[in-house]
Amino acid sequence: MLTVKNLNVWYGPTEVVRDVTFEVPAGRIIGLMGGNGAGKSTILKALSGLVVPRGGIIEFDGKSLVGRHPRDVVEAGMVQVPQGRFVWPGMSVRDNLELGAVTRTDKAEIRRTIDEVMTLFPTLSRKSGDRAGQLSGGEQQMVAVGRAMMSKPRLMMMDEPSAGLSPKVVEEMVAAIAALNRGGLSILLVEQNVGVAAALAEEAHILANGELSFTTTGRQLATDPQVIRSYLGR
Amino acid sequence: MLPFLLTSGLTTGALYAMVAIGLVLVYRSTGHINFSHGELFMLGGFFAYSLIMFAGLPYVVALFLAVILSFLLGVISDRLVYRPLIKAPGLTMVLATVGFSYLLKGIGRYFWGGKGEYLSIPAIVDPAPIFINDIPILPQQLIVLGAAVAFMVAFALFFSRTKAGKIMQATSENPTASYLVGIRVENVYTWTWGVGAAVAGAAAVLMTPLTLITPDIGATLLIKAFAATILGGLGSMTGAVVGGFAVGLIEQLASGYIDTSLQEIAAFLVIMVVLVFRPAGLFGVYGQRRA
Repeated sequence: MLTVKNLNVWYGPTEVVRDVTFEVPAGRIIGLMGGNGAGKSTILKALSGLVVPRGGIIEFDGKSLVGRHPRDVVEAGMVQVPQGRFVWPGMSVRDNLELGAVTRTDKAEIRRTIDEVMTLFPTLSRKSGDRAGQLSGGEQQMVAVGRAMMSKPRLMMMDEPSAGLSPKVVEEMVAAIAALNRGGLSILLVEQNVGVAAALAEEAHILANGELSFTTTGRQLATDPQVIRSYLGR
Repeated sequence: MLPFLLTSGLTTGALYAMVAIGLVLVYRSTGHINFSHGELFMLGGFFAYSLIMFAGLPYVVALFLAVILSFLLGVISDRLVYRPLIKAPGLTMVLATVGFSYLLKGIGRYFWGGKGEYLSIPAIVDPAPIFINDIPILPQQLIVLGAAVAFMVAFALFFSRTKAGKIMQATSENPTASYLVGIRVENVYTWTWGVGAAVAGAAAVLMTPLTLITPDIGATLLIKAFAATILGGLGSMTGAVVGGFAVGLIEQLASGYIDTSLQEIAAFLVIMVVLVFRPAGLFGVYGQRRA
């Protein structure tokens, strides 16, 4: 489904991602892990079209997405849930969700997708008229995931969906992500929380200093303390 | 004297409100204050002047054409000046709008200035005043007042009810999130600069029969409209209109009851007082929200 080969990203004179290669097969959850500054979020920005890579290949179902506008990426079927949620705080929950479907025109289908979001996150149905900025961190994360669902993606890139959330809300979020995956959605999961990554990802790529260090399984990730100490800074 | 001051204050306030609406529109979408907005007003007025006085077109036709020309000027300014700076720091954009204002002023002076003349165009309606409770009011004043309120209602509905308005608001609140859902943020900015300029053009065409126009009118007007947006709350459409009327009334009342010199500095005093005592303004919700 998603193929990334020899991806290179520079910010000005600084190389922040070097020759990163990995794949996200259809229907799988793949983890991308590493400490702060490892290059995880930059890779997602390159995949989303927010930064233009200096080199490498990004192919989604055989179609190159290198240097394409973020809208082209969304229309191709990939969407990102950014770190920090980035909801539109002054707008209602419903407006946030509806604008997530800005690339779609089928109104009946859009309403159906909103129902799906409300079913996955019942809290949002009770707060659909509230301003997103007034919601708790967990509820804002639900809005961010729901907004990404609105584009009907086939692959969702999630940047630290558990960051800053209470353990109970993290559990709910893990359950929601698992449910989305069971529904056929492929997920590229950037996460620093080893527990979350181990619970969700079948395979995890560990980054250090912008390079891919090694690949492991989710199960190994949770049980190998050396991996955690060496590459995740814990 | 009070009724005259109030009438005059409301009319000039309506002008400030209309110019402030354009400022707010651009700010809400792009997060930038357009310091060339006064010059867009000035050119809109001169477009109408030329269309009426030289091309001989009727006022209403000239109004529409001037608004369209102003819109195109806004779009061109985005493509030539602002889009190349789309990822530049905010201060760069401030300097760009200031620099562009001088370019527009130069264009105004080249084509319509140089003789020290103040130009005007005939009123859309009979210029003879009508009397309401013995207070003389020019019909054109009522048109300007009505237009300011109509613009406010139209834009409030636009932002709250239409998809395009919500897209502009979303782009203002968080451009990155907007990119990520597939909004073409650059195109939103282009439309915003265009519509902002069109509003300035419309305000100019409505006001020019009442106030004379010169190539140097932009900076003065910008300060007044800026005071209106600061008072009303940066980013609030309602605030722009209320602030516009308030600044107009404050100017006239201070000039009439205290000293005429206060008319020129009233706007600056309003800016200073609001920034010290109520930085968010009367209706401000956008000031510190841009991510």
